[in-house]
Amino acid sequence: MAEVQLVDVSLRDGNQSLWGATGLRTAHILQIAPVMNRVGFRALDFLSSTAMGVAVRTHREDPWQRIRLTRAAMPDTPLQFIGTGFRFISWERAHPDVMRLVYERLVAAGISRFVVLDPTHDMDAVLATARIIRRAGGTEIIAALTYTISAVHGDAFYAGIAARVAASPHIDRAYVKDPAGLLTPERARTLIPAVRARLGGKPLELHAHCTIGLSPLVYLAAPNLGVQVLQVGCGALADGSSLPDAERTVANLRELGHTVTVDDRLLAQVASYFDQLAAAESLPAGQPQPYDAAFTKHQLAGGVMTTLRRQLAELGLEAKFGAVMDEVSRVRAELGYPIMVTPFPQMVMGQALSNIIGGSGGRKGSPPRAGRASSARYEVVPDQVIRYVLGSFGKPTAPVEPWVLDRILDRPRARELAAEPPPLSPAELRQRLPRGISDEELLLRFGMPSGEVDAMLAAGPAPEHYSPQLQPVLRLLRELGSRPPVRRLVVDKPGFRLELGRA
Amino acid sequence: MIIRRVLVANRGEIAVRVLRTCRRLGIETVLAVAGADADSVPARLADHTIRIVPGGGAAGLAAAYLNVEAVVDAAAAAGADAIHPGYGFLAENPRFARACEAAGIVFIGPGAEVLEAAGDKLAARRHAAAAGVPVLPGGLVTAEAGEVAGRIGYPVLVKAAGGGGGRGLRVVGDPGQLSGAVTMASAEADAAFGDPRVYLERYVSRARHVEVQLLGDGENVIHLGDRECSVQRRYQKVVEEAPAPRLGETLRVSMRAAAVALGLHLKYQGLGTVEFVVDTEREAFYFLEVNARIQVEHPVTEMVTGLDLVAEQIAIAEGRGLRRSQASVSFGGHAIECRINAEDPADGFRPSPGTVAGAAFPAGPGIRVDTHVQAGSAVPPQYDSLLAKLVVSGADRPEALRRLRSALARCRIDGVATNLAMHRALAADEEFAAGGVDTSYLTRWVQREPPSVRAEIHG
Amino acid sequence: MDLTNEDVADVLALLDSLPYDELDLQTTRFRLILRRTPDGWTQSAQVLSAPNPIATTTDDAGQARAGQTGEVSGAGGVEGEAGGATAGLVAVRAPLPGTFYRAPRPGAPPFVEVGSQVSADTVIGIVETMKLMNSVPADAAGTVAEICVANAEFAAQGTTLLLIRADP
Repeated sequence: MAEVQLVDVSLRDGNQSLWGATGLRTAHILQIAPVMNRVGFRALDFLSSTAMGVAVRTHREDPWQRIRLTRAAMPDTPLQFIGTGFRFISWERAHPDVMRLVYERLVAAGISRFVVLDPTHDMDAVLATARIIRRAGGTEIIAALTYTISAVHGDAFYAGIAARVAASPHIDRAYVKDPAGLLTPERARTLIPAVRARLGGKPLELHAHCTIGLSPLVYLAAPNLGVQVLQVGCGALADGSSLPDAERTVANLRELGHTVTVDDRLLAQVASYFDQLAAAESLPAGQPQPYDAAFTKHQLAGGVMTTLRRQLAELGLEAKFGAVMDEVSRVRAELGYPIMVTPFPQMVMGQALSNIIGGSGGRKGSPPRAGRASSARYEVVPDQVIRYVLGSFGKPTAPVEPWVLDRILDRPRARELAAEPPPLSPAELRQRLPRGISDEELLLRFGMPSGEVDAMLAAGPAPEHYSPQLQPVLRLLRELGSRPPVRRLVVDKPGFRLELGRA
Repeated sequence: MIIRRVLVANRGEIAVRVLRTCRRLGIETVLAVAGADADSVPARLADHTIRIVPGGGAAGLAAAYLNVEAVVDAAAAAGADAIHPGYGFLAENPRFARACEAAGIVFIGPGAEVLEAAGDKLAARRHAAAAGVPVLPGGLVTAEAGEVAGRIGYPVLVKAAGGGGGRGLRVVGDPGQLSGAVTMASAEADAAFGDPRVYLERYVSRARHVEVQLLGDGENVIHLGDRECSVQRRYQKVVEEAPAPRLGETLRVSMRAAAVALGLHLKYQGLGTVEFVVDTEREAFYFLEVNARIQVEHPVTEMVTGLDLVAEQIAIAEGRGLRRSQASVSFGGHAIECRINAEDPADGFRPSPGTVAGAAFPAGPGIRVDTHVQAGSAVPPQYDSLLAKLVVSGADRPEALRRLRSALARCRIDGVATNLAMHRALAADEEFAAGGVDTSYLTRWVQREPPSVRAEIHG
Repeated sequence: MDLTNEDVADVLALLDSLPYDELDLQTTRFRLILRRTPDGWTQSAQVLSAPNPIATTTDDAGQARAGQTGEVSGAGGVEGEAGGATAGLVAVRAPLPGTFYRAPRPGAPPFVEVGSQVSADTVIGIVETMKLMNSVPADAAGTVAEICVANAEFAAQGTTLLLIRADP
């Protein structure tokens, strides 16, 4: 029987998986932060550069201030930042000194735990990033072993990575990250011991999405296999394409005789808060997922699939959904089995979509022919894919299919991108940006269009208070602003009555 | 450690205040109640209530909240892992702090040693002197009071060593009155505090009362600014503000430094206040006493610092070090607090218990009301008469004053007599508006304008 | 839900620009009335939720039952609950909701009285739940200080049945 700790991902991965990273605002987080601080979580998955961009773009809120305020409201539970180590908000590769500045500013604002996730498992890059983070002051650095099913990702592959983690003084622990929720209890029984055996005694965490309903079962097997920490979500931010539900996980683990030291009353309070928030903001609550055998082929996360359906609908091409999904599996194999983790799902899906509906000859609607002969395939290639093939995101895990490689690189845009100047250093950025701005603002202006940052600054400080139960009242008051006034207005429901009147 | 369930061993507005912070932090609350308080607003806000059951049975209601064993037993029966004592009652009782410790319950406040040092006014004077804080000439009255008084010079103030709250205080203008005053003060102190010792201090006739808020973790101590508390009657504060207006910067800086020095000397752990007498004629300040608890007037400090002082108390009690440095505490704007009491200023500030028929308070930016009364609330005669604290803030003192006047105009409490009319008249008074009044101001003012301070009795 | 100052501020921020002069909001837990006056807004708040007493004496146990018995100590699971043992007075709580019997059968002498010495294994009473009799052990050594629930009275889960002054 084991002592199991929990890391909660509601605020970052939960919000990203279920609510497209746009659901939570600063006030939503601050309201529940003091309570989350007391639950007894090992850490909170809190932020990514993508989430920082969303804060600016969607909510006009300063993400740096969000970190500081949350840290103040939550002094005990470490806050985690997850990143690749080579980009910040923008998809382009950043100068190493820019990344150094990013990590220094994150530590100063209150982040202490860092996940380094290289999507191609380029361990030299991971170790270099870990060293930078350590120098910047990061106290807990975790390497991601990103799980997928492919010809190259066997147990020995992950054991090899574990051995590199064990040897690095700058990496404190590792976690098996299963972004698509593909790991079965059977595979866990060989994979986790293989990783443990080479990890040199460093702690191991598990992070498996619920996308096809497997992870709650894997979590029950994990503690006996040597996993010390399970990553979970709370209430509406658990299940679905997010992670297993914390309360259910705790109950099940205890049922098996394991010890989980968390404050159950507060855990329920946190879950209930996210439930109420989801209801108040009309955001979908995560639901337990049925098993879906076909999913193992395309491995697209729920969020990406939701986006694809919406985009196809906007183009009037809902009927193409199945064809695009098939094409995703094909493209993924041809590109050398990139793991379906940011930024690759967007990239593979974009290419698959281009292959199906793209092409200059107005082939829209005609069925794709399989294989290399199809002239529509790789006729239009997004910059992302070209950059991937050029190695901007690291070395592909398996070689790219040679004819695909040729077809992608044999175009003017590929030559243009290959000849791109190296990314700008902080000093060079400073010369191009307004004088006298802070490092934090510099990094935001590096990662995003300046207009977005200007709009954020113009919006002023983010609200810090939020009550889900009060939202119906506030919404009604907002709506009344755009309606002709009435003499008296009454809303009467069981347990709720609101009356507005004029003198 | 992490505190999970707190017994709030108090009543009234401070109980509501503590419950609010606990709720925000996710700490479960149990309110200790006696008598009609079982149905009070704080009782309705708490997660649970538990009756204090004094061993003696039919002891007075106020006695219930003062009964060390009964309160500790209630905490144990409630499964509380900590007790917040609020102010008054057991807040500064070293025996209570020790009983909590013996019972394995965290006392949210300084340790018993600090409470003892602060509670014995003579000991506190010695500590202040040892920390290099200026103290008024004075000394313990032993056999020959006249000798001590002669050394200090008249007028002298006779004070109780074990006391506070103005009880046992006497001003003596000439030697002929001294022995009578000492006898009276000693008897009063013995009755009130079980300690007949009295001491003499030089009486500062033109004095202001300014205090400095401290926060310490036993090793490090910071200040959270100063408060002006000179508007008093019978040594009870009526209006407080932060920061103290019209105080020279040199004086302000020295007082804050002196308070921190005393805090460090006492290895102060928790929230506390060092009170000073400011001699306005000499531009000098002297140590008055240490209040080892959260103060009634803490909201003005919260409004200018943006801190939650109850949360800071809990953090220290949980064994965390100070979470912020002196440099990271920032002060902005000006805040004023009015204590709205159930009392009749036109009738010598006599308390007026009863039942609140209705209460309306101002609302809006820069306005905070801390209260435990609503329509139907009982105002029992056994406790102090505080009904509500109206706190306003503004970018500067003139803005805060404007808000105060407008906010007071909107206050209405029916069913019991209150001092609201006095507050309105005070807020309109030029001398108060100018700032920096001394402790004799309110008494002079009340004598000057009695008609404007008639209590309001509605319904 | 309870109303905080910040909640009122959020409502006022919107209400202030609307052409309405009075808002009256009532839920099961509170009522808030905001009124516009020439000087600005006023608020009258009313906390409506009932107190939730933890029974400590026979009398109070009766009050608790008359009130919201089901919620008394309902939170359970909080670690602090067990920690009460250190204070000298240890609460023996009903392990299940049910009828509390102080004696093994009608007419028999009670298991314990005030002043009885008990060890951790001493049975202090029986709680009958759904026709099943569950004996309740003292779980602490000491002297019975107080019996909090009368014989044959209903006790909610977690209700303090009696208090034991623990041996030092």
